[in-house]
Formats: sequence, C-alpha cells, structure tokens
Amino acid sequence: MLLSLSEDQTQILDFIDSLTRPYAAVPMHDVSFALTSDALDAELVEGGFLDVMAMEELGAVTAALVVEKLARLPFAVEAAASALVRPLLDPELPRPLCLVEEGSLRKPVRFLKPGATVVVVGEGSVRSFTAGEEHVRSAGDEVLYGYPVAFLTGVPAETRSHDVTSERLLTAWRGALAAEAAGLLAAALASVTTYVGERKQFGRPIATFQALRHRLAEIQVATNGVYWLALRAAMTGTAGDAALAALHAQEAAKRVGYDFHQFLGAMGMTLEHPLHLWTYRLKLLTAELGGRGAQAVAAADAIWGD
Amino acid sequence: MNFEWTDEQQAFRRKLVDFLAANLPEDWEEFSKHGPASPALTEFARGFCRKLAENGMLFPHWPKDIGGEGLGPWEQQILAEVMWEYGEPRGGQYMNVNWIGPTMLKYGTEAQKAKYLPQISAGEMLWCQGFSEPNSGSDLASLRTRAELEGDHYKVNGQKIWTSYAGLADTCFLLTRTSDDRKKGITILLVPMDTPGITVRQIPSLIGEGDIHEVFFDDVIVPVGQRFGEEGQAWEIIGYSLTNERLGIPRYHLAREALDRAVGILKANGEFTRETVKAEAARCAALCEAARTAIYAIVQKRVDGGTVGPESSSARYATVQAERAVSEFVVEYVPEALAGQSAFLQMHHQRGIVAGIASGAAEIQLNIIASDVLQLPREPR
Repeated sequence: MLLSLSEDQTQILDFIDSLTRPYAAVPMHDVSFALTSDALDAELVEGGFLDVMAMEELGAVTAALVVEKLARLPFAVEAAASALVRPLLDPELPRPLCLVEEGSLRKPVRFLKPGATVVVVGEGSVRSFTAGEEHVRSAGDEVLYGYPVAFLTGVPAETRSHDVTSERLLTAWRGALAAEAAGLLAAALASVTTYVGERKQFGRPIATFQALRHRLAEIQVATNGVYWLALRAAMTGTAGDAALAALHAQEAAKRVGYDFHQFLGAMGMTLEHPLHLWTYRLKLLTAELGGRGAQAVAAADAIWGD
Repeated sequence: MNFEWTDEQQAFRRKLVDFLAANLPEDWEEFSKHGPASPALTEFARGFCRKLAENGMLFPHWPKDIGGEGLGPWEQQILAEVMWEYGEPRGGQYMNVNWIGPTMLKYGTEAQKAKYLPQISAGEMLWCQGFSEPNSGSDLASLRTRAELEGDHYKVNGQKIWTSYAGLADTCFLLTRTSDDRKKGITILLVPMDTPGITVRQIPSLIGEGDIHEVFFDDVIVPVGQRFGEEGQAWEIIGYSLTNERLGIPRYHLAREALDRAVGILKANGEFTRETVKAEAARCAALCEAARTAIYAIVQKRVDGGTVGPESSSARYATVQAERAVSEFVVEYVPEALAGQSAFLQMHHQRGIVAGIASGAAEIQLNIIASDVLQLPREPR
C-alpha cells in the first residue's frame, strides 16, 4: 500500500499548474455557459499531458490525477476520454474522443464535432469512426450544460473495430468519469466556500451559519471519497472499483447540483459567478453511462456476481 | 501509488487471521454478542490479549524496546481491521492500542511509562475514559468534575456518565477541572478504579451488556504523581488522543464485512436478483470503500511522518456514513438478522449506533471539517 504521489506525479501536476495559470479564471465579461479554449487544448497536447497513461513510470493513476486537475479549470477540456480511454484503443486516434453507448443517440454527446473520434460501445463490440459533418447535429444555443455538446445523427456502416472488450472499455470510461467528477466537485466546492466566507448577511459571513457549514462539510467528505475512489479505480483497473468510483461520483454530483447554487443565493442564479461552469458539467456527468442506478448495478454484479 | 498490499503485509494479515482461527472459541460469534464491555468478554479478552502479546500481535507497530515488533502504521491498520472483522476480541483493550498507548508514550512521565507500559503491552490492563458528564457531552470543555490540590494529592468530586468499560476497568483516564479557565483549566488524572470514594453504576444500553456507566467521585484522593501531563494540559492531550481514536476503529471494514454477509444471506435465498436491492448494496459498498480510502490516505500521512490533522474528522464522518448505511441495509433487507438469526450482523448493528456518537459526535466532526478543512470562518459563540 502506497498512497503518496511520486516525485514524477508531483512534478507533472506542478507543470499543469504553471501551464494552466492563464486559464485559471474566467475571462473578463465572459458569461458563456460552456467555456473552451483551443489554445489550452493545444498546449496540453503539445506537453504530452494527455498521453501519460502509456508511460511506464506514470501510468493510469497519473492520467487520473491529470484529468482531476484539469477538471478544476473553469474551461472544459476533453481530457478524461483521451487520457484514460484512448490508450486502450489506439493512442493515435484523433481528438476529441467522444464516448457513446450503442442505442443512445438521443443523448447529447460531449465535445462532438466534425473530426472528432466517436467511440461506440455496444453489447459485445467497441467500434469507432471519425465524425463527418453529416454525423453531427448542432444542439443550438439553448444548451444548459457546461460542456460543448452536439447530437450524433447516426453511426456509419463503416466503422473500425477495436480489440478491446466492452467491459474493459466501460471500466475505463467509469474510471474516467470519476476522475473528472472529482476535479469538478473540488473546484465547485472551493468556489462556493470562498463565496460563503465573504458574503455577509445579518452582520456576519453566511459561512458561519451551521445550516450551510454542515452541508458543505458533508460535501467535502463526499468529494474526498470520489477523489480517492477514482485514483483507486485507475490503479487497480477492476470493474468493481471503477463502478464504485463512478457511482460515488454520480451520487455526489446529484447531491451538490442544487445545494451549491442554493448556498450562493441569488448570485447562484447568475452567469456572472463561474459556479455553473463546474456544476453544469457535473449535471451532464450524472446522465452518463445510464446514471447512478446503472453504476450501482454494475458495481453489485462486479463485486458479488457469480 | 499502489492500492494493493505488499506480500509482507498480506502475510501479516494471514498470520493474524490464522492466530484468530486457532485461538477463538468455536462459538465465538455467538459469544461476542455479549458485547465488548461485558464481564464475559472482558474476562476472555484478558487471556486473549495476553496471548496476543506473547505472540507479538498486541502492539506490533511499537518499537521493540517497549514490547512491540517495530512494524509500521500499515500493520497497525491491518491489525485493527482483522480484529474488528472478528468482532474485536480484544474487548476494551483495543483502546490501549488505539490511543492510550500512543498518548502514554507521548505525554507520560518516565515513572508513569515504567508503571503502565509493561502492563499495557502485556495485555493486562483495562482503562476507562472519564470524559463525558451529565451536562458536558459534545461541549466537553464545560466539564465540572473538580480536582482540588491539597498538598501532595488532589481531592476529586464530581460525576462522569456514559463511561464505557468503567465497571471492570483497572484505571480511569479522568478529565478534571483544576481552574475555571474553560479549556486551560482541565487536567488529567490517572485514577485506580478501586480508590475509595468511586462508585460505578451500570446503565442498560442498546450496545450490549455492561457497556456504559455512571461514575461518581466523592472525595477521591489521587496523588499528584498520578497527574498526566501538566495542570491545564488536558485539552492538548485529548486532542491528540481523539485523533488516534477516530482512526483506530476501522468501522468501514466491519461495515463492509457485515454488508458482504448480508448479501451472502440474500444470495443464498435467491433474493439478490432485484436491481433495487443490488443498487442499495452497491451504494453501501461505495460508502465503505470511500471511507476506507480516506482512512488509508491518513495512514499514508503517518507513514510519511506527517502530523494527522482535521482530515481525520472527514475520514471519521465518512466511516459513520458507511456504518449507518450498512446498518439500515441489513434492517431493510435482512430483518431476521436482528431477531437472533445472525450473531455477527446483530453485533454489528448494536455497535453501529456508537459510530456517530462516541469519541466526538458526528456533528462535531462536521464543525471541525467546516472550520479546519474548508477554512470557513467560525461560528460566533
């Protein structure tokens, strides 16, 4: 048992801190629902931060740490699927990587755009294709999620089959979801604690009222749990650990969705505060992979199945 | 980073399990229903802890010169997990391993160490914790049991309540008030329980027989040499003690064992097929494993030589959530267990109610997390 970060891991996280410093805050007067940056994406690719899983001395835990760290940014970055799933398929697959479950075409797909790699996970197969213009339907301007999303119009007849089982792919996907959620939860919590520590009502910071303190403390406990379960899932690579991590992540995400905005009061209804950039990403993550119930059943089957 | 046990750690766990298999009575699970503070289990624990000590398994994480094997914090955690998985056959002596031993090592005088450590490490000493009072529970700093210095001794008067193990303990780790300064006016005395003037009354409890008591102190004379730490140092010392205590009981592990057994019963009856039941079980498992990893992160900090801080309250709260979820799962889906049909699950349920109350209420843990982990401004007092 060894839960300390290695020197390499610490160094990589420090590098990411330095690289992302210009992206740590929302640009002045920007009130986007989803914030993205091609420049940030390019810098991450150039630095090789999304490819650490394949490096022997770094591996999946480092990739999960990178994903968690990047998710804390107000900018949405397609890191989770690229860093934790793509190495199982083909590390050269064009990004962004969009993961979809076969038969779920009605759901919005994160980061989908022409040129993206769409990975379709079916009952017994994992296939991919490069999205063309004809495969992508814009979701328009009325999207209430903190990610850029689009709809998939269909899966082409010609796809590339991958030599990986659906189970293995789903395990990696669940682990990636948990790592990303851990970062989103941590960033949203930090944002809210700052606000409630400064905002005064009745002559004192609202963070001094126990009605908020205990709920925020419980969210800290949940956030800490998601972080460690995500790292454990990355380390062991087992179906059970991944499903538990994804389950705990989706449970926590559901829990904080309204609470965090509630704690901000009217400020929580505005786009002037950046909270939605994390919480409205978490909302979409709760819908992924069939939601909490599906993760729970998958975990139960993995742990106690015959 | 590695979440798997090393070969040596696995071998250590196996050694402990084998020892328990060889030394626990065949009817152990039924027997352990008596409760850890019962006369029967206390008597059993005295012999059992002596055997553990003889085999280097009572304090394997202590340095060799004070009766240990020189192993590390991970082995201490493995030891705790195995003991709790088996219903804690050390009885009340688990406290020696968790916090009395470490606290004695850090704050005891040489004379106190010479007196108590050999008895503790030989598995022959049972303590009780004289903390709570009728009007001082979570607000422990308001305690009123007074110790007046009279020459070479203190005269103690007052009352403690909800004191575990008091009925059979050898010595009380007693918090007393020596001045009116709220926190700096509290002093620890180590008081033999057979000292004249001490009266113990058992309180019937949900936990099991003989667990909690009222303890009355009427003009109890305690020599100054029995003071632990300086006058007024108690608050610092119990902060250290409670941090150890919070980590020392691996309830996540006991809860997970209970959950696995409950699922085993459901499967044996063909009832673990409904998705609603599976989902509930998985939610319990997620809470158990989240608590486990939170605790392990703190153990790692100990291994690295760091000081354990308020994150112990976060890990403790995670453990309370896991314990409660599993207890509720058992009641909902395996109700017969609490009607005498599973000694282990019944034992788990009885002890589970303690999780959020003893060694600092869960709400106090939330206050600590808010102030010291999240760094929120404190509530006005």
